[in-house]
Parts: sequence; structure tokens; C-alpha cells
Amino acid sequence: MKILLVAEYRDGKLLGSVNELIAFAGKMGAESAMFLVGSDSALPAYAGTLYLADAAACGEFNPDVHKQLLLDVVAREQPEMIVFSHSSYGWDLAPRIACALKAAQVSEVVDVEGDALIVPVCNAKLRRTVKPKTGQTVVTLQAGAFGLADAPVGSPTVEKVAAAGTGKLEFGGYEAAEQGGVDLTKAEVIVSAGRGIGKPENVAMIAALAKALKGEYGASRPVVDSGWVEHKRQVGTTGQSVAPKLYLACGISGAIQHLAGMKKSEFIVAINTDKDAPIGDVADVLVVADLKQFVPMLTEKIQAL
Amino acid sequence: MEFTREIYWNVGHGAATLVPMYLLVIAALAVLVYGFRQRIEVYRLGLPLNRTDNLGDRIVGMLKNVLLQKKVTQVLWPGLLHGLFFWGFFLLLIGTTLIVIQADFTDLLFDYRFLTGTFYKLFSVTLDLAGLVAILMLSGLLIRRYVLRPEGLVTKRDDAIMHGLMLTILCTGFLIEGARMAVTEMGTPLAPWSPVGMAVAGVLSAAGEGALLTVHKLTWWFHLLLVMAFICLIPFTKFRHILTTSANYLFTDRGPKGKLVKLDLENEESETFGATSLKEMTWKDIFDADACTICKRCQDRCPAYATGKPLSPMKVVNQLQEVAFTAPDSQLIELIGKDVLWSCTTCRACQEICPAAIEHVGKIVELRRSMVLMEGEFPGEEVMAAMEATEVNGNPLGIGYASRGDWAEGLGVKTVGEDADIDILYFVGCYASFDKRNIAVARSFIQLCQAAGVKVGILGKEEKCCGEPMRKMGNEYLFQTLAAEMVELINGSGVKKVVTTCPHCYNTLAKDYRDFGLEVEVEPYTVYLERLLSEGRLRVRSEDLVCTYHDSCYLGRHNDIYDAPRQLIRAAGGRITEMEKNREEAFCCSAGGGRIMAEEKIGERINIRRVQMASATGTAILVSNCPFCLTMFEDGVKGAGVEESLKPRDIAEILAERIQRA
Amino acid sequence: MKILVCIKQVPDMESKFKVAASGTWYDTADLAWRMNEYDEYAVEQAVQLKEQVGDADLTVLCIGGEQVKETMKKALAMGCDRGVHIADDKSAEKEPYQIAGIIAEFARDKGFDLIFTGMQSQDRGSAQVGVLVAELLAIPSISTIVQFTFAGGRIETKRELEGGVKAIVRTSTPALVTCQLGLNTPRYPTLPNIMKAKKKELVSLPVTDLLKVEARQETAKLFFPEKKGGGLVLEGDVGPLADRLIQILKEKTGVLA
Repeated sequence: MKILLVAEYRDGKLLGSVNELIAFAGKMGAESAMFLVGSDSALPAYAGTLYLADAAACGEFNPDVHKQLLLDVVAREQPEMIVFSHSSYGWDLAPRIACALKAAQVSEVVDVEGDALIVPVCNAKLRRTVKPKTGQTVVTLQAGAFGLADAPVGSPTVEKVAAAGTGKLEFGGYEAAEQGGVDLTKAEVIVSAGRGIGKPENVAMIAALAKALKGEYGASRPVVDSGWVEHKRQVGTTGQSVAPKLYLACGISGAIQHLAGMKKSEFIVAINTDKDAPIGDVADVLVVADLKQFVPMLTEKIQAL
Repeated sequence: MEFTREIYWNVGHGAATLVPMYLLVIAALAVLVYGFRQRIEVYRLGLPLNRTDNLGDRIVGMLKNVLLQKKVTQVLWPGLLHGLFFWGFFLLLIGTTLIVIQADFTDLLFDYRFLTGTFYKLFSVTLDLAGLVAILMLSGLLIRRYVLRPEGLVTKRDDAIMHGLMLTILCTGFLIEGARMAVTEMGTPLAPWSPVGMAVAGVLSAAGEGALLTVHKLTWWFHLLLVMAFICLIPFTKFRHILTTSANYLFTDRGPKGKLVKLDLENEESETFGATSLKEMTWKDIFDADACTICKRCQDRCPAYATGKPLSPMKVVNQLQEVAFTAPDSQLIELIGKDVLWSCTTCRACQEICPAAIEHVGKIVELRRSMVLMEGEFPGEEVMAAMEATEVNGNPLGIGYASRGDWAEGLGVKTVGEDADIDILYFVGCYASFDKRNIAVARSFIQLCQAAGVKVGILGKEEKCCGEPMRKMGNEYLFQTLAAEMVELINGSGVKKVVTTCPHCYNTLAKDYRDFGLEVEVEPYTVYLERLLSEGRLRVRSEDLVCTYHDSCYLGRHNDIYDAPRQLIRAAGGRITEMEKNREEAFCCSAGGGRIMAEEKIGERINIRRVQMASATGTAILVSNCPFCLTMFEDGVKGAGVEESLKPRDIAEILAERIQRA
Repeated sequence: MKILVCIKQVPDMESKFKVAASGTWYDTADLAWRMNEYDEYAVEQAVQLKEQVGDADLTVLCIGGEQVKETMKKALAMGCDRGVHIADDKSAEKEPYQIAGIIAEFARDKGFDLIFTGMQSQDRGSAQVGVLVAELLAIPSISTIVQFTFAGGRIETKRELEGGVKAIVRTSTPALVTCQLGLNTPRYPTLPNIMKAKKKELVSLPVTDLLKVEARQETAKLFFPEKKGGGLVLEGDVGPLADRLIQILKEKTGVLA
């Protein structure tokens, strides 16, 4: 089997998701090549052929041109599978390629089972085994679903490619993420403080853990009502309803309005001394511990990773 | 000697007195009528509303409130001052009327005098003391307003006019009496029957008779002019409350308490829903505003006002009044402010205490209706999300509807679909269906029913939110959708009786749903359990329990159920230390009026304030009867930092722990 | 200006899901239905555009059984002018390419200046349909937009990238955009608009007239994943506990990757 990996490059940097593509190729036991619109100053650690187009010439974001470049490479390589990350770049370009190739596209693959691919359904509540019916398949991989035990090594054999034309979309540059403004609904990780943190000084401990996890910190209503944490960080139906990838509830027993506002989170960890608190009913993992000891310990260990 | 006096003494009873006097009276009455006709024009800007049904009962109700000053004296000290002042002044009015009747009618026409003998003595002493009481009470009110200056009391020019004029009228009255007595009565056995007049006469006696006659005559005319001025001023100053407030008792909402007016959503002609301007409110709303005496009792009891939110029910009513008489086309929502309107918890404390029988809550909801139905606006996105969640899953928490009946697992409770042979249908409500804390209450209630041999059925996943929070928030459309569905479901189930553990559900099913065709009897669980207990069907052990009890707004003020829950607590061995604000004066938990769905963004937290009041009783348990209250108190004890010393519990939990089996 | 907005009716994600007897999709019993959340943003943006240009005709399209009309009514109440219901009781079995094929077939000769779709559906979540429709119609498409402005036949959008970064992308009409959550604040329909919506045109077209493409993939099986943590309760000393939790987070979530 031969697969073509489509790596990503943004703002002068190669994105780390390339390692997941390599891991996927490894898992499939497939022969692979890679395609990248990037720069030869930022090459992946990848032992294979890299078809490299110059981002400075084609534009970092230019789907029409990237599509043409990629189709040319597909024509040369004839891969059975073209693999993207399920990212803003991948899910945008993949359907364009699938359409042009008259190929099936399977989105957000989390696992492989023989010739079938497994994808999540309904906010990952369910999973679906999908069988493509076309000779070529376009696939996007869920972020984090395929990891490498060790960082990949090697350097690619670079084959430069170029395309003519400009495309119908005009890229007007990037806009940096807003600084300072808190938007819990957009956070991928939320660490929330409940009254169980004991005193306002312990909010810093929660914030530190959130920072270590590259997330935001939130709070339950009583904590906000006590004035320990600002309003816009209140999680719950009477505050912000959130659905991050990871929700860590620290010292939150779980009033219904809080639970209803966070239970859509993909993975929920509760840290609580009370095993029977309602939060335990929605938590994937319940850590029974004194959070004043546990949270700093966890933060330290995560920072050390 | 004959005990009487010469009426019109010294001023004369001829045409020279009577013609100018009666011309003045007619002129004053003309001004009064003119003034009110103008005001009535303004009242008529409002939409029609029938408030003259059951006129007999209405008149009785009005007389009770006017004559007995029932609502006024609900607040003791200022109420008593006003009440006694009213009675003093009222007696003087009756006395003056009797004098006029005798002098200008019965005596003049039929030579008949009744102000004589013992009756005159009593008449004289009564009026004399009434005048004294009126002066003392008025002075008390004056001191309160101008010296003590209670916080929040708004004092305007009208108040100065009213206090000044009344006091001058009363004092000149005594001056006239004193001058007359100094010349005619001093030393006679009649004098002690006018003790105040005698005292004044004693002081005046030093002056010569000539001077006294002049003083008497001038003061008499001055007094008359003042009284005429008073009559003229009634429509143009707060004096108007004498008539508007009294009339408002006549036009009062005869209930059921807290039932909102059903909007006609089927009317294809309607292009607007709810109110944005005064002309979209009823005449009674405008009349209410004109009946307000700015006594601030509503404001003093408003939980939103008390915790620093921009709402003052009094201010809203005053703004309506100002708009009505100056710019009736004004956009009320902008003028009053959205935050003001969203702050109301519909706790009814304002309405319950209002001595002018003003209906605050309906006005606020009417304006909210316009915001929601015409603009799709809510106090926050979280409220819109709750509305949408209710549309999709039938509960504001957005939890999958199919799991609504899961709480009853293992209790042997069936849905009416599975088994229609039941004694009562338990309408569970959203919180007791989905919230672990309140599920404990629902399960306790079932245990109690089962211990009493009552067979309970539920609607299971068919049950939806009763729509109360949505309706109070102004979303009449969603409410009516839910109401129609629930009424059809309950009527179709063939049950004879519905019991609720949520007072919001209770109020809605028992009152609001009647407009949608619900016929079965509805009872709150506290009343139901109390009956089971008194009938001996339910037996509970008495175990010592020191607690405080919170009257939920919808069981208490909305339904006057104060004793049944207390009896239940006592039967369980509870000793209640009341909070300072209890029963009719209970302080809201913050969650009424649909605020359960909203973030409390402004001011202090109402629930924390209430928990602090409970904590101040020194008891360890805060007993309540409402899932919203319980939810707010569970958060509140944490917010107030008293979660170790004060545990919120529901009555059903307390009782279920003490079930005594046969 | 002619605008098309494509919406989907999906189960509320809070519903209790069960696998259907066919084994390839979820059972529809006990589900509550609603408009796909992403599509609500698409409808709102389409309505805002219509309000901006004034002279515009906004069509809402939805594929599914009779019951999807309920969801279409919400879109009509939000401000769409007319509804096109593509009647298909088996729409759930169709893969994204077929759905895109149906929409493109409908839209091909209608001259829509702008087409709005959600970025993905909440149930299938393939994030393909919008871009595929544009490809099939050979018009430019911009996916995952969180900001949209229109002026003089040009649109300027911001695409949401990872980590809160946005990319500014412009193009000319006709074009298609797929809408990400947070693009706007979808309105709550007003009562007069709910009433008006009841009288708006809502035509049903049989799917057979529009389905011209074959499925390129098939679902073999739908199943519940093993429970992530399985309600795992961890107890013990904090040091080993922290290590244990980190291990779980590495295995079950992408956040420590």
C-alpha cells in the first residue's frame, strides 16, 4: 500500500502534526511519500520523499493552487490513500482533492481496522466503521489519535514542485489570537475551581495547572459568587456552557447547573474528596484526593514532561 | 342650659357668608372634577380591562381597606400614624358634614337641630380629640419624613404642600374653636367637652373680646380657603391618593394570585405582543401608577433592590406615571432600562405589601414579553440557550428528554401510560427529574406516599417543563406551547389529582393552566402530606431538629401557604427559629421570574443574602419547600462560606427520614 | 441577490443514543431533534446578509423526511424567504458526497450568489459537504469562517485556525462559505416572524430527481466506544496518583500530545 501524507506549514513553521501522519503511515505499514507547501528551511524529520512547494511562491493558504500541486503529485505517486490532519488546513483541502479524484473521503479517523476506518459520530458518543468503495481514498486524521512512541528521525529526499496560476481566493494574512480576553467556550482544556479549593489564594494553584495544560481556568458559581474568580470564568448554564477536550473539575461537587454546562466535554476528570458527589456521575476519571496537595503535584509533573 | 353652640357664630349666617362660601365650595369642586377628568383621559389611553365584575365584593373590599386601613397598617409604625391620622381627619370630615347638614339644611329648612344635648357633648369631644390625634399623627409623620428621613423615602414638593396644608388646616381649626370658646364657652359646663379647644381658649383669653372676634372671623375665612385649596389640590398633588388609592382597592386584581394574563397568540390580526409603550398596557396599569403614594414599601422589600440591582418596583411605577402624563408615546423599555426589567424575580413582595394595591409584576412581565416575543432578546445568551434547550428537550437544563423518568428507578413508580390506576399523579418538574440533589427530594416524596399507602403515577419522559420560568421571562409562546401539551397529557391521563413538589409547577398548574383547559385538582406536596399526616395515614417519628424555615415565594406569597409546611416540620420534631424576614415578608432565593436560567451579573448575590439571614438564626438546617430554593441555597451556603454550619434540606427529606411504619 | 443556506436536522447531542437494528446508524427512537448548531450560524449570517443588501431572496434547503420541516420552519422564522425540502426518508444513510451531489444538482442552474452551510454536522461531523458542493459547482469556497463581510460583490472572511489564530481570506461571488460556531449570535425568532414563517413557501422535491451520484463509501458498523475512563476512581498517594492521571490523559486525550 502506498500513501501520501500531506503535512502543514503555517506562518513560517512546519506544524507538529506531521509526526501523527508519519505515525499513521507506520501503523498502516505502508510505503509513504509526503507533500508540503512550506519551506526548505523547515523540513520534517522524515525518511522518505518530500514533494515540497515553496510557500513563499504559492501562498501558505491558497487551496486552488495547493490542490493543483497536490493533484500533480498524486498523479506521479498514484497513492491509494491521501492523508491529511483533520485540521483547518486538512478539512478544507481534503474535500477538494477527493472531489477532483472522485475518491471517497473519510473524515477524522481515529483508528484503523483492516481495510476499514473508524471515525467518531455524534460528538464522539458513538463510532462508525467506514469502508471506502473507491480505489483511492482521502483521509483526515483526528488530532492526537495517532501518536509516535519516539520522535521520528531522518531527513527527507526533497523533490521541489511548483504550479502556475493564482486561484480564486485571496489570502490577507493572519490575525493573532486575542490576548487577555478569556473565552472559555474556545478553550481546549479547562481547569475549574469549586468551593473545595478552600480559599481565594488557591485560585492561583488552579490557574497554574490550567497554564501547564495550555488551557484556561474556570470556576463554579459559588466561587464566582464569593468573588474569588471573575464572572466571565463561570462555567454552567447560568455562566458559560463549555465543551473542551479536557475538563478538570477541582473541588466541584457538581450542582445541576454546573453539570449541564460542562458535561459535553470530551473527557472529564474530577478531583474531589467526596466519592459520592454528583460530579462523579459525569466524570471519566474521579481522583479522590486532597486537591491542595494533588494539584500542585500534577502541575509540577506536567511541567516536567 | 342647652348643650349646643351657635353655628356660624361671629361669621354670620346670612347671604354675605353663605353665598361666597358656597361659591368657593362649588369652584373648588369644579377644579377637583376638572382635574380628575383630565386624569381620566390619561387613564383611557390604556387598553380596556374589566375590573368592575363582582362589584359588591369589590366595594366591600374597598371599604375594608379604606376604613380599616388594613394594608396601610401592615407596616406598623408609619402605618399606625397614617391610619390614626386618617381616622382623625375622617372624623373631622364627618363632623363638618354634620354641621353643614344641620346649619344649612335641617335647621334652615325644617327648624330641626340634632347637634344638641348629650350627642353634642360627644360630638364635641370626639371632634376635639380627633383633631388632636390628627395633629399628633401628622407631626409624627412630619418628623419621620423630614427629621428621621428613612433611607429611600423620596420627598418632593408635594409632600411639603401636603404636610404644611394639613397641619395649617388643623391648627387654624383649633384657633377658630379656641377664639370662639374664649368668648362664649369658658366657664360653662360645656367647655371641658372640648379639652383642646379649652386649652387654646385659655391662652387666647388674655386678648380682649374685640380682638378675639376679629381673629376668629379672619381665621374662619382663612381656614375655609385652605380647605378649598386642599380640595382643589387633590388631583394635582399626591393628595390624589385619597381617591386613586381608594379606587384602586375597588379595581384590585381579584386573583388567583400571581396568575398572568394569557396572551392571544392565535389572533392573526395582532402585530405586536407585550408592551413597549403605555398605550399597549391597560388603563389599570396607568391607574396603578397614579395610585402610588411613593411609600417605598415595595422597594424596601425588593430582593433585587436590596442586593444592588437597578430595579426598584416603586421607581418603575413612578416612571410609568410620569410618562403617562408627560410623554405617553415614550418607549418604556429604553426608558426603564432592560437590566431593570430583567432583574425582577417575580417574588411578589412588592405587590403583597403595596398599600395602594398596585400590581407590579404583571407590568414587568408585559414589558419582558415585548423584548422576548418582538425582539428575541433575553438577559443573556445563557437564557436563550435555556429556552432553546426547553424547545428541544422540554427542560431548561438541556438534558435528553428520554431520561426524565430515570430518577424513579427502583421505586416501583409507574408512568400513567403503564398503569393508570393511581391515587395521585406526581408532576415532578425539571429539577427533581434531573438534578441529583433534587432527585433526593422526589424520592423522599415517593417514599412518604408509599408509606401512607398512596399509589403514585408519573408522566415519565412525556412530562415537560411546566413553562413557568419561560413565561415569567416573557416567553409566552414557548409557555403556551408547553402548557397546551401538558394540559392535553394530564387531561388525557384521566387522573383526578395532581401533586407537585415544585411550587412553581404548582402555581402554574393550579392557576395558569386553567386558561388552557386543565380541570383536575392540583395540590402542593406540603398541603397534601399535611393532610395525610392529620388523617393518620402517614406517621412520622418526632426527632429533635432545630432549624429555620424559608417560605418560598410561590408557596408563600403566591398561595398563602405558611402553616402546612411548618406543621409538617413540627410533626417531625422540628423547632423552627424564624428568620427575621418570614412568611409574607420572606426574602426571595433569587431564582424566581425565570432568573433560575440567568446569570446574576449585577450586585450582590440574592441567594447568599438569604443564606446569611438563615445562618443568623444560629440553626444548622435551612428547610425549604422548592427545588429552585434548594438549588440556590446549596450554592448559597458555599458562596457565604457556611457550608459546614448550615445544611439546606427539603421538608420531604426531613419527613422521609422519620417515616414510622405500622 | 440570491442566497442559499443549507441546513440539517440532527439529534440533540444530549439524547440517549442507541444503535439501530440495521447496525449502521443510530436508532431514531427517543431522540430530540434540532437544527445542526453550525447551520444556525449559517442561517443567521445569510439572514444578516439579506438584511444588509435589502434586495435579496434567501432559500433554505434541507434534506430529510417529513419531520425536517419543523427545523426548516425555524430557519424561515429566523428570516429565510422560502424553503426547499428535499424529501428523502433515507438521507441518514447517504454519505457526504451524495448529499453534496443532491445540493449541487439543485443549485446548479439557480444562480445563487452566495451559499452558506455549516462547517460540519453534529452527528456525522465529516466537514465535507459545503466544500464539496462548491467544488461540484466550480465556485470558490471558504471553510470554517468566524467572520463575514460583504461589499460590492466581494466577501471578506476570517477563517478560524488552530490556537485562536485567524486567516483573512477574500473572494468574489458567487461563492460558498462554511460557518464555524461563534461566527455571529443566531437570533431567537420573534413571534411575528414565527407566524409569518407558517405562511412562507415550502416546497418538497423528491430526492430521486436530484440524486445523480453513487455512494463512494459505506458504513459497516456503528458502535459505542469503550468508555473513556469508564468512571474510573483513583485513590492513593498523590505522587503515584498524578503519574497515573498523566498516563490516562496521554492515552485518552490529545491534550498532552
